[in-house]
Amino acid sequence: MTLETKRIIIGSLGGVFLLSLVFVQWLETIRRAEEAGLRPERIVAPASSLACIECHRETNPGIIDHWRGSSHAEKGVGCVECHRAATADPDSHDHYGFRIATVVTPRDCAACHPHEAKEFARSHHAAAGNILASLDNFLAETVEGSTQPFNPHSPTPGRPMEPVNGLASAFLGCQQCHGSKVALRATDGGTITLDDLRPDEDGIPTNVDVLDRILRNDDGRPLLDPGSWPNTGIGRLNLDGSLGSCSACHSRHDFSPRRARQPENCGKCHLGPDHPQKEIYEESKHGVAYRDLTDSMNLDAEDWVLGVDYSAAPTCATCHMSGHTRNNGRVTHDPGERISWTNRPPVSLPMDTDAEHRIVTAADPSERREQIADTAEAKRTRMKEVCSHCHTPDYVNAFYEQYDDLVTLYNEKFAKPGQAILSALLDQGLRSPTQFDEEIEWTWFHLWHHEGRRARHGASMMAPDYTHWHGMFEVAERFYMELIPQALEMTEQADAAGRSRQARTVRELVDSILARPEHAWFRSGAEVESSRIREAMAERYGSRGD
Amino acid sequence: MALGLAGGYGAFGAVLGRFIYPARAAERVWQFVTPLNRLATGDSLTYTTPAGAEVHVTRRNDTGGSEDFTALSNVCPHLGCQVHWQPQHNRYFCPCHNGVFDSDGRGIAGPPEGMVLSGYPVEVRNGMLFVEVEAVPLRAPETRS
Amino acid sequence: MTTIRRWLDDRIPIEPGALRALTNEPVPHHLKRWWFALGGTPAYLFVVQIVTGVLLALYYQPHPSTAWESVRYITEDANFGWYLRSVHKWAATLMIAAVVLHQIRVYFTGAYRKPREVNWMVGMSLLLCTLMLGFTGYSLVFEQLSYWGATVSANIADTIPVIGGFLKKILLAGEAYNERTLARFFVLHAAVLPGFLVALIAVHIALVRIQGVTELKFRDEPATGDRKFPFIPDHLYTELIIGLVLMVVLSALATLAPATMGPLADPLTTPEEIKPEWFFYVTFRWLKLMGGTAAVLSMGLIVFLMFAWPFIDAWWRRRTRLREASVWIGVAATLLLIGMTIREAVAPH
Repeated sequence: MTLETKRIIIGSLGGVFLLSLVFVQWLETIRRAEEAGLRPERIVAPASSLACIECHRETNPGIIDHWRGSSHAEKGVGCVECHRAATADPDSHDHYGFRIATVVTPRDCAACHPHEAKEFARSHHAAAGNILASLDNFLAETVEGSTQPFNPHSPTPGRPMEPVNGLASAFLGCQQCHGSKVALRATDGGTITLDDLRPDEDGIPTNVDVLDRILRNDDGRPLLDPGSWPNTGIGRLNLDGSLGSCSACHSRHDFSPRRARQPENCGKCHLGPDHPQKEIYEESKHGVAYRDLTDSMNLDAEDWVLGVDYSAAPTCATCHMSGHTRNNGRVTHDPGERISWTNRPPVSLPMDTDAEHRIVTAADPSERREQIADTAEAKRTRMKEVCSHCHTPDYVNAFYEQYDDLVTLYNEKFAKPGQAILSALLDQGLRSPTQFDEEIEWTWFHLWHHEGRRARHGASMMAPDYTHWHGMFEVAERFYMELIPQALEMTEQADAAGRSRQARTVRELVDSILARPEHAWFRSGAEVESSRIREAMAERYGSRGD
Repeated sequence: MALGLAGGYGAFGAVLGRFIYPARAAERVWQFVTPLNRLATGDSLTYTTPAGAEVHVTRRNDTGGSEDFTALSNVCPHLGCQVHWQPQHNRYFCPCHNGVFDSDGRGIAGPPEGMVLSGYPVEVRNGMLFVEVEAVPLRAPETRS
Repeated sequence: MTTIRRWLDDRIPIEPGALRALTNEPVPHHLKRWWFALGGTPAYLFVVQIVTGVLLALYYQPHPSTAWESVRYITEDANFGWYLRSVHKWAATLMIAAVVLHQIRVYFTGAYRKPREVNWMVGMSLLLCTLMLGFTGYSLVFEQLSYWGATVSANIADTIPVIGGFLKKILLAGEAYNERTLARFFVLHAAVLPGFLVALIAVHIALVRIQGVTELKFRDEPATGDRKFPFIPDHLYTELIIGLVLMVVLSALATLAPATMGPLADPLTTPEEIKPEWFFYVTFRWLKLMGGTAAVLSMGLIVFLMFAWPFIDAWWRRRTRLREASVWIGVAATLLLIGMTIREAVAPH
């Protein structure tokens, strides 16, 4: 090889080397550009919470890890910003130089999120803790448990002979959704709640006498009653007088809006035999679309406005809470704002509400007009604004007609008559005022509280199977095969006990109900329909099906 | 040949040079300071940045906008020492060369006379005050994955 | 110009002519064949390693709490950091490969024979130094395999009779991997071993210069004529071409297969699949073939035999008539090396 050739080779190799570095530069540029778009916000530890983080990252790394993923962390909101407490707060204590409280309440969140807190406070969610006087509570505390602790009646190997806490079902069942009444343990063995503290508007106790009775551990930390805490029930009754728990939906410590937007989040409580909203949703076209298109839901979007950030499918939040293009993206923390029927009680009522957000029950039209602050129709209009992102007005209006018809059918054919029979039995002294001690009371409870709600909820969210088989079919069976026979049996027993006048009153009521055209088939028969069915069965399957 | 060599190794040298040069200016992040309703007009507070610098935040007005607030750095514009607030004299004082600043951060005595303490950008979002400060990344807890 | 030259000559009395004569050694003709330039390749790569290594050390932090993060910073945040780290990694790989190829070439051409026995041993030291550089460098990343590789190696050292425990403690700065261990690896990798390497290379080249390059003759060469050619410019050009080819190859490897980051070292979990860098596959396989002390001692014996090979070879050639047995031993050893490396490479564990 001549020297000249070598020189040329060196020159060109130098060029190739240069080109390879140009390629390197190109890769570097792409990398920087990608990084600029993809790089997550830098998480920094606010100086105020540095000490908390250093210690708790060792003791509870999960808390710190969750927090790192929160938008609180992105924006520099650390531990003390939320856990900081006033010295006057009954549950506050000194923790390595910080005055903090364990339980963070909506009042604490309201410092930065006042609008959300206000909307939430007037919602039915915030009132969920007021179940002391409800059938459900009676069931958990008395029927399932015991309001007073009782002694075990035989030993369990491996367990001490300690009194049984009869409220366990209420604590772990009802209150984990509805919310507990947060209680501090008292030195006398009792508990101290907001009823004892009587907090003022700022959440500071006015009854300072009870403060001395708070039981504290060696570090001076007040002890929370384990029956009431841990608890993230949505209507929690807090020591500062505030209602609710924001972490019911915005789980600590990442407070993820992403999670609150997903149906699973609501599904912690809105499921099961009495209100299977989660299952109903999953059965509906809405839920099916969501499951399929989760990737297109843009769940991490900052504002998550329907029609702007996504339109693939609606979740619970979409219809009941989230912002959309027709309302300028305004989120509401009162899910009742768009609901037009109350499907919770035995007989459904339109959601005409007064200034205090209570249902107006008055019958007189002028009286109603006076009391109503927000009509059911206005609420329905707000819901229709959501619907209209994917459906035409005719479609939406026709759906609401179908839905109204189903609720009315349930109300008129089963709920009102059932209610009338139960009232008559009580009025005539044929059943005791105590709930759940007579079979017909369980029958009625199943009818409206489980099956009747399933039918109505199924209709409201387009789940045919819940509307019919889990709903109206079971309502009908319960009505014809249990409620009516049990009521009549009670009249016979009353007859035998010599109370024929009362028995007759009830029997006449039952007879008049069954004589109504919609029930007439039950006694007078429906031969024409039945023979038609038999013919159809024979034609299809070769046998008559009976 | 010389051209090829100079081009190839020259470019390589340039890459090496870029590597040595700091990758990017220290990243800055917006950090939450306080809800507006917790800082009355005329009041001030000291916010400590994640990097440990102290920022004197003072509310001077009540319009609800970011212009109500000043957020002053505690770094003396003279030679970088830390100034501190002397409430009894209503002034910032730099112990290095006896620099004095008034409550607005204007140098009124000593070497930094005529200079001003630098301010941090502030913003009001949803009724909360945010300040833009240097970021010090927090390492993840050592959880096993 | 002349003033400057005179000024310099007064202070640094080196004659340019003498300098040229010193550097411009006549080169034997066979060096026009490319594979005889393999000795210069590791030297060139070593320079690349020094340049990139010094730069990487500007960002690297040798402490368990920060090492991995600092490597991540280099790889993800620093300008061109990924490129320089990849070049450093690939140059290390190529350097070891080039050293081994150079040694194989020297072996098969019998260039270790008298009077070059000492230089063979210097070369062996260079090989060991290079391998240790590779090992310590890999440990610095502080990913899972770095950590467990270092732990395993220290425990191998532990099995050496008498001095094993001492060696292990010296290597790890304690009974086990601790927070002072990485600093040792770093100093070894970035100061001690390169220092040795520089000194050894100097001796290596000095000896080559003193003894001259082994002259070889090929059948297809003209029998007559000048058997040598000047180093400058002809052979310099050859080395420049090799250098540039290496740079292009390194750039290509760095961009197409950049150095990645494994998971952070976790002293509580040994990964399911643990394998050293490829150049330790042979030792790794050897360790699996026999247990603890036996493996270490036999490996030590092999290294000793390699060091002493010029003398063994000379003794053999004096005593027997099989004068070219070294070739067959070399072929066998090379095949064994390749075989064990491949065996380990394909082994799932």
